[in-house]
Amino acid sequence: MPLWFVRGLRRGVVTTRYPARRDDSAAWLPTPPAFRSRQLTREAADRMVAVCPSLALSRRDDILVFDVGACTACGWCAEAAPDVVTSSGEFELAATVRSALIKEIPIQGDEP
Amino acid sequence: MNPSRGKAEAARRLRDTIAAQFGRSLHIRTLDTGSCAVCEQEIRLLAAPHYDLQRLGFFFTPAPRHADLLLVTGPMIRAFDVAARKTYEAMPGPKVVVATGACALGGVYPKDPFVHGNVGEVLPVDVWIPGCPPSPLALLQGLGVAVGRLAERTPGLTFIAGPAADGGEA
Repeated sequence: MPLWFVRGLRRGVVTTRYPARRDDSAAWLPTPPAFRSRQLTREAADRMVAVCPSLALSRRDDILVFDVGACTACGWCAEAAPDVVTSSGEFELAATVRSALIKEIPIQGDEP
Repeated sequence: MNPSRGKAEAARRLRDTIAAQFGRSLHIRTLDTGSCAVCEQEIRLLAAPHYDLQRLGFFFTPAPRHADLLLVTGPMIRAFDVAARKTYEAMPGPKVVVATGACALGGVYPKDPFVHGNVGEVLPVDVWIPGCPPSPLALLQGLGVAVGRLAERTPGLTFIAGPAADGGEA
């Protein structure tokens, strides 16, 4: 018990200051993927669309349509195309319109 | 202005808005429409010391009659239609509906015949919070957005009884 008392004094207040200040724990959150548009090829896009378990990804010609609202940040697309996908690190995603969460990523990897 | 100043300003505005419109007591009713309960775990964490929701003037209430904000989780199973509508209608206006998590946004069960797959098909959703589950930080940000919507709606009150009484919605 005394150990915990000392620890409590040393670490101070545990309550986050968010939204007034940044919260460092946000760095560990699983966040939706971000796609490198320049490296993204149609073939890689189709591979990612095929593995996405929540149907958040689809391809419309030269555009990869990414529904952030449907994404569960499972990481399967990153496994299917590791050179294209990074973590966005973005968690402040709330929107007032559902369609605002559907992002269109241009596929530019096939261009010479 | 540096970004942290901007955020402090935003937090202060949020606090002031809730204080002004709702006397530091904006009450949240959660509604589970078939969720796997992970969203509920994250919502519960909001009341824990680390996030301490009450410091911003939000409270949880079990009674829809006392609630200003409906926090809906889950893919909206069809068997829950009546209960969801009754909960919404029992709430006094102005009120906001917040769809929480990928299920509620139509992500996880988009083609399941037993669910609507999207809360928007049954309730008029004002704010969508993505994430599977949305972290408590994401929920806090979503609640901030929802308060903005509620504040927009409040000056619309005409104090005339009838359909227009709660900001024009049914």
